[in-house]
Amino acid sequence: MKNNSEINALVLTGYGLNCDVETAHACELAGARAACVHINDVISGAVSLEDFQIMVFIGGFSWGDDHGAGVIQAVRMKKNAGDRIIGFINQGGLVLGICNGFQTLVNFGLLPGMDNDYTARTVALTYNDCGNFRDDWVHLSINTQSPCVFTRGMENLELPVRHGEGKFIADQKVIDRLIDQNQVVCRYARADGDGAFAGGAFPGNPNGSMADIAGICDPTGRVFGLMPHPEAYNHPANHPDWSRDKQVRRCTSADEKPPLSAAGVRIFENAVAYFRA
Amino acid sequence: MPHRLEIALKNELFDAEGAAVAGKAAAYFGIRVQDVRAVHIITLDVDLSPEQLETVRKEIFTNPVTQVSAFAPLDLGFDWCIWVGYRPGVKDNPGHTAIEAMEDVLGIRLGEGEGVFTSKRFCIKGPEISQDDAQCIAEQLLANEIIQQVKIFSKHDWDSENGVGIIIPKVRLDHKPTVTPVSVDSDAVLQQISDERNLALNVNDIPVIRQYFLDPEVRRQRQAIGLNDPTDVELEYISQGRSDHCNHNTFQGRFYYRDLSTGETETIDNLFKACIQEPTRQLQAQKDWVISVLWDNAGVGRFDRDHYYVITGETHNSPSNMEAYGGAITGIVGVYRDPLGTGKGARLIMGSYGFCTGDRDYDGELKPRLHPRRLLDGIIEGVRDGGNKSGIPTSFGQVTFDHGYMGKCLVFVTALGMMPATVAGTPSEEKTTTAGELIVMCGGRVGKDGIHGVTASSEIFTENTPAGHVQIGDPYTQKKMHDFLLQARDEGLIRFVTDNGGGGLSSSVGETARFSGGCEVWLDRVPLKYEGLDQWEIWVSESQERMTVSLRPEDEDRFMALSEKHAVESTVIGKYTDSGKLHITYEGATCAYVDMDFLTRGFPQWEFDAEWRSPEMRGLYEPVMGEPRDYNRLLTDLLARPNICSREWIIRQYDHEVQGTSVIKPLVGADRDVNSDASVIRPVLTSEQGLAFSQALLPFYSAIDAFHMTACTIDEAVRRLVAVGGDPEHIGGVDNFCWPNIQYDPVRNPDGRFKAAQLVRSCRALADTCRAYGIPLLSGKDSMYVDGHLAGAYGETHKLSAPETMQFSAVSVVKDIASCVTLDIKCSGDLVYVLGVTKDELGASEYYDRFGYTGCNVPVVDASRFWPLYKDLHAAMEKGLAASVHGIYRGGLGVHLAMCAMAGNLGIRADIGKAPGAEDLRADHLLFSESPGRFVVTVAPENAKDFESVMKNNHLACIGEVTEAPRLDLSYGADSLVSVPVADLKGAWKAPFGQLV
Repeated sequence: MKNNSEINALVLTGYGLNCDVETAHACELAGARAACVHINDVISGAVSLEDFQIMVFIGGFSWGDDHGAGVIQAVRMKKNAGDRIIGFINQGGLVLGICNGFQTLVNFGLLPGMDNDYTARTVALTYNDCGNFRDDWVHLSINTQSPCVFTRGMENLELPVRHGEGKFIADQKVIDRLIDQNQVVCRYARADGDGAFAGGAFPGNPNGSMADIAGICDPTGRVFGLMPHPEAYNHPANHPDWSRDKQVRRCTSADEKPPLSAAGVRIFENAVAYFRA
Repeated sequence: MPHRLEIALKNELFDAEGAAVAGKAAAYFGIRVQDVRAVHIITLDVDLSPEQLETVRKEIFTNPVTQVSAFAPLDLGFDWCIWVGYRPGVKDNPGHTAIEAMEDVLGIRLGEGEGVFTSKRFCIKGPEISQDDAQCIAEQLLANEIIQQVKIFSKHDWDSENGVGIIIPKVRLDHKPTVTPVSVDSDAVLQQISDERNLALNVNDIPVIRQYFLDPEVRRQRQAIGLNDPTDVELEYISQGRSDHCNHNTFQGRFYYRDLSTGETETIDNLFKACIQEPTRQLQAQKDWVISVLWDNAGVGRFDRDHYYVITGETHNSPSNMEAYGGAITGIVGVYRDPLGTGKGARLIMGSYGFCTGDRDYDGELKPRLHPRRLLDGIIEGVRDGGNKSGIPTSFGQVTFDHGYMGKCLVFVTALGMMPATVAGTPSEEKTTTAGELIVMCGGRVGKDGIHGVTASSEIFTENTPAGHVQIGDPYTQKKMHDFLLQARDEGLIRFVTDNGGGGLSSSVGETARFSGGCEVWLDRVPLKYEGLDQWEIWVSESQERMTVSLRPEDEDRFMALSEKHAVESTVIGKYTDSGKLHITYEGATCAYVDMDFLTRGFPQWEFDAEWRSPEMRGLYEPVMGEPRDYNRLLTDLLARPNICSREWIIRQYDHEVQGTSVIKPLVGADRDVNSDASVIRPVLTSEQGLAFSQALLPFYSAIDAFHMTACTIDEAVRRLVAVGGDPEHIGGVDNFCWPNIQYDPVRNPDGRFKAAQLVRSCRALADTCRAYGIPLLSGKDSMYVDGHLAGAYGETHKLSAPETMQFSAVSVVKDIASCVTLDIKCSGDLVYVLGVTKDELGASEYYDRFGYTGCNVPVVDASRFWPLYKDLHAAMEKGLAASVHGIYRGGLGVHLAMCAMAGNLGIRADIGKAPGAEDLRADHLLFSESPGRFVVTVAPENAKDFESVMKNNHLACIGEVTEAPRLDLSYGADSLVSVPVADLKGAWKAPFGQLV
């Protein structure tokens, strides 16, 4: 792995993935140099993972989401580039999986990655309880005890979800262990509740995820997957309240909230900062 | 030996798919269902060892955390089991991805004749469910017989060993491809052949076609390459090229217009030229941001110095009416190929939709093929999957209900793209083909899809005949092709690109070859889905997800290497020439040899008689109504009407944030649940400039006069743009006409002349209004024949014609998105202004419709008065003087003050008697008139003086203020009219569709 001052981020594309442009943009806003790389160029070795510090499995509909979201991508990556990807992680690289990327990471087994096993499928992201694809903004409560490097210094965050298969489920013992080990990085929270979890209630918890789980990391904190889309909050005007916010500030005096910022980019900034530290 | 794998969720897990079926069975048909579990079936017609089968079962098809699976029927209890699978030839997208995954995991290639097919069975529990109920669930909820086959098992006749059996929906044609010569002995013979082969040749075209093929010089040339009489390939080509769909004969037609009320007569030689082309050309000369119009797959406007936006709109009505999901997904995925095929190719950045159906809760006697509720469900889902899986935000859309759409629904789909101003050093909007370049077909393979679509539906199905006339779009295949073509574009490989839509290769190759002046096509090279297609079928098939590209021979290797990397199939199928001939061969033998310019010469123009009768002559008059007393209940009830109420359930199914560009989302406000006036995106992520987009649909006014329908529709689209911050000096338009048949027939279309006059008037309004507002028509389409014949209670049929409909889409740039504004009122104490004059214009309004009236006083656009107001309002918004802006649309002032309050969760206290124009109007007319040209704007008190100063030359009035208490309090002078908590209004507005997800 290169270790110069340039932080390079690989943004995986192809086969129906579709968040490449904004994910690359978010990486660049965070100070990384982003390269959109086709899955087949990773598999063929035309592009070497060793040239990158950060690898992003992006959102979209790889293989049309047929046979389970992220399943075929995971099978294909695991079979054809699995050792290289696990090697990338073991050598200190960061892996971020967003939405379809998160689904891919759990089907690959890179998450939750317990007991140093990056191949076991022990958690799943399945059909939303509401029975449909859903686009909405959610409140996330972030676990400050988590080893996750992507969320350092963050306590809460609002992001859009856009998925039909985001319900996080696993055996209760696995859930308990994820919580105990602080591998649960972010949970769906109530809009009004100072970080209080959504308690399974729709639409705060948009998909019926167990324990309101929206994102998890591996025990090292260097592999992180989440259903909401941080790259889609790359500008203050992405926030649904932005056009109200500037006016409402004029007429509400009490406890000035900080102005809206492109808060999703912080996830990427943390990744870059990890290497610059 | 084939194998059948069954996969289901583990028993203890909630089955959302099954629950949705149970919910609909109860809600739609009152069938009491206890439980539904879905079983996904993968039928592998592949020679695999037991070890290989186990590998694919475990590694691909079964999630160990959530699913169970077996190569034997899963033991799930049920009272009824309904199996649903595709008919042969219907696109089975998951079947195809299954093959990709299996080939990868096993390191094999499927052999000739091997295949993978997906299907489902639903295990339904409920002791009260009868055979008829099960049949109803199967036919009305789960399957559409046009594309799917069904088997129903009761628990008694279930064979637990064989389950649903092994069904392999493979196409077997056993047919040797044949070219058939066609006799041109006489007009009558050719007419007969046209009828037999569904060529739909126009009766006036037949002599022209015969004359060509009987011409001695033509015959001599043809004989030299072994042809005599025209072949079926040639006639199909001519039929496609001359069809109304491809050639727009109606809009290019000559109209003899008579106004029976004034005696005025006028002959319009060509509606398209007079009303669309001419005004647009004039405006193009005035507006330097118009880059490319009137020739390509979509229009092109300048976004900024380095980027051009691309826009077009389409409809997919007839296919959606037959198979709602398949028709709608094919429609949206299809329109997305238009920007991709514009210039040298544009990246897709946004889509929108417009759906028109009969009443969702229709319970009358007519029997449409699909009930409007089911039709709408299918359309919504089709556009959902087509848009979401393409990775394109669907950030605007509208749904309109009208009884006239029972005959045929409308599905409008609009696409926007973005391309760099230059590609490899050349202007991106320019392209041409040159002799010697290769014709390449990219994307999907060719089957019998879409061939003579409409007539095929009446044919009888056998087990192995392809149900090709209805298609299911495949956004996955197309997304791969999209990414591939854009990379090829950026490397400078693409000389010309266009999509294969209506007419297939016949249109795409035929049209692109006009640039070089000829082509040679080797039909045997075209990759097929299955063997047995005749040559003419390969030539006109409308199989989806294909583009035609022109390449220099020296770029072929690089292009093919990129294609392979992106897992896209590309095939050289011919070359462009300058021979002046369309020359098609199959295995070396010529099967078509036609002069390139034949389609553009010598064919007679279509002609129409158009007779206008004024509303008064048709007996329309204003209703005699006394003023209502209970305004609270009246307003609340209007908010709950189908054409006003919330459609949040649709909007939330559509990804409107992918690409990270959203600025004004489709739902805005304090609770993010009220429709925005228009959508704004920031398509270049490194720029603060925005692209605003809006649409309007107001078919109701056609009941009085399609002229005013059209003018009001354009005005609404413009106001929607202005309301969010769009620049009125830069507005591009897209017109989409959907009209009933206008060809008079004394028996079958007795009011054809009137409908023709409506079209003439609509086109005049289009030209007038676009000129007045300075809107070049960047793109447009027409879909005629929006009529249907429905069975009634006694077996009789009734013809239903859709109201004359024109959807108008408008696009604009926003110099700095920081000046964008939403409709939600934001601060108590802000002043509430009404801009524009309210008149007695309740004709065909929502208010009159509530009581079954049409009326006569249709809203009238006065562009010369409205336009300055729009420009001043824009100036005020750029100065940051408006806290909220909202246009007053369907439902009028009362409804739209409610929208502003509902969006802000604050109150409004206002005296509507102060609104401009109030002095002449009764309170109910003032509240519910739909006069165009109006806005509600709220302004901070400290900005009021500046705002009024900017707006001083316009009609406006401050009618009240925003209140902290969320209550709508409207008075007329001293008389209180409305006093309702905003929460009650919102509750009523959300109630009709609020339970849907």
